[in-house]
Amino acid sequence: MAAVVEVEQLRKSYGQVERLHGISFEVQAGEILGFLGVNGAGKTTTIEILEGYRPRDGGRVSVLGTDPAKATREWRNRIGLVLQECELDPVYTVRETLTMFARYFERPTDVAATIGAVGLHEKGDERIGRLSGGQKRRLDVALGLVGDPEVLFLDEPTTGLDPVARREMWSMIEGLRSAGKTIFLTTHYMDEAEHLADRIIILRAGLIAAQGTAEELNATLGYHTEITFESSPGFDVARLRGVLGSDVQLEGSVVRLKTNRVQDDLTVLLEWAKVERVELGKLQAIRPSLDDVFVKLAEETPASVQGSPRE
Amino acid sequence: MSDARLAVAQTRFALRGYARDTSALVFTALFPVILLLLFNAIFKGNTKFDGRDVPSGAYYTASIISYVITLVSFASLLNRITTARERGLLKRFRGTPMPSWVYLVSEIGRTVVVVYATVALIVAVGAIFYHVHLSGHLLEGLVVYVALGVCCFCSLALALSGVCKTADSASAIGPLAATILSFLSGVFIPTFLMPTWLIDIGKVFPLEHAAQGLQSAFLIDGSTGINAINTGVLLAWAVVALVVASRNFRWEARGPGVN
Repeated sequence: MAAVVEVEQLRKSYGQVERLHGISFEVQAGEILGFLGVNGAGKTTTIEILEGYRPRDGGRVSVLGTDPAKATREWRNRIGLVLQECELDPVYTVRETLTMFARYFERPTDVAATIGAVGLHEKGDERIGRLSGGQKRRLDVALGLVGDPEVLFLDEPTTGLDPVARREMWSMIEGLRSAGKTIFLTTHYMDEAEHLADRIIILRAGLIAAQGTAEELNATLGYHTEITFESSPGFDVARLRGVLGSDVQLEGSVVRLKTNRVQDDLTVLLEWAKVERVELGKLQAIRPSLDDVFVKLAEETPASVQGSPRE
Repeated sequence: MSDARLAVAQTRFALRGYARDTSALVFTALFPVILLLLFNAIFKGNTKFDGRDVPSGAYYTASIISYVITLVSFASLLNRITTARERGLLKRFRGTPMPSWVYLVSEIGRTVVVVYATVALIVAVGAIFYHVHLSGHLLEGLVVYVALGVCCFCSLALALSGVCKTADSASAIGPLAATILSFLSGVFIPTFLMPTWLIDIGKVFPLEHAAQGLQSAFLIDGSTGINAINTGVLLAWAVVALVVASRNFRWEARGPGVN
């Protein structure tokens, strides 16, 4: 597989504030890369540099073998964009707008087929002003696809959509995956990245905090399953530490244990409770979702950017 | 598709949108016709131009044509560009293979068609209701001043679009400037009723010269109204505005760094 997007040590500052501190990554042909981060992490700055909208301050960037800062018309024919904010003129119909956009490209797709691909078959002759938010967003995606691009940039395609519209957008993007499109997807939802992306990059304060498949992130980030229960009066944490080790924490009346050996530790705990006649109130063993992993990661301040100016 | 054909297609697309936009139709076509009828109802009979008695009907037909030029090619174009920019459409177009000039040419093309269609409407009203005689000289002056006026005011709209931060401010500044300039330029009120210092201020701006030229063509027998001062001032404003526009034109609503 060839890399469609190559980024090395990408840096970008706005005035005195450095927004991207030298990030490197690749997107392979046919891959969906999920670029995840909270607002202000630098997602949009990155995608806009890749799209050729913004100059960079340092590093090397290549999209389809071309430096986006020197975007040519031929290159623009090969990329598709779905911008974060683009409010199309409400007086035109879906078909009129898409037909007009198709004329900008050298090798456009069939307009009717593209309307179908984004699930707007029944809305082709509807004015844009009468579409729902989710339908408008799918039209944005159709405009990104109508040039038959080799790589599609999707900037937060589901932000602001209701849960149903979000699911519809997801199944549409999955359809693009089976069509073999290379997609660079930014999002601030971990479940979206987990659901759609082959690989995930977590961006935090202008640096890559973690990357890998969803499984790899889960495994490498080292967040363990947590066993918790509420202690009853007279509970002695020292006695439990005697059998389960010093990792057992007592916070108020809640007892916590983070572990990788859930079954073993639970067995020990239950047998100990039976022998000691201790009641384990609200006993649970919770495996953190990737969403929790992301939130924790986003909250931590990375040591390498401490002291750098932030707005 | 060649770029020239693409520009034509984009212009037709813009015109189709205009035909569907009721508020734009009312603002740019119906409103000037109403003004023409109103001024003629108020100032019936004769007025004065260049020291002579002239019929009010012809005077206001010429005046409202100059008002249409500012309204459509300045106020309306400024509003369209800033609105499209605020909606992220200009940025979206920039991300396609369509050359930027194709978009700008299509917007100006749309404006030219709308101005000429509205001017034709005003001239028809003038000819039917106010006995405006359409001589060859009149039509020659009309074509030249409408063309010069459109060049000048489209350039000014492009230049000011870079200054107006939001579509809201543009939709206030456009009609405000058109109205104030119309009062300064003898468009709404004949200059013989105005103090000299106010006339002198008006002469600095381009509308006075478009209006004065058109009024000459409509009111002075055998004159096209075309003269070096009027054409020179309109062209000078056009050139200055184009220089400003080429430096200040913005394709994105917000500055970078706000994400």
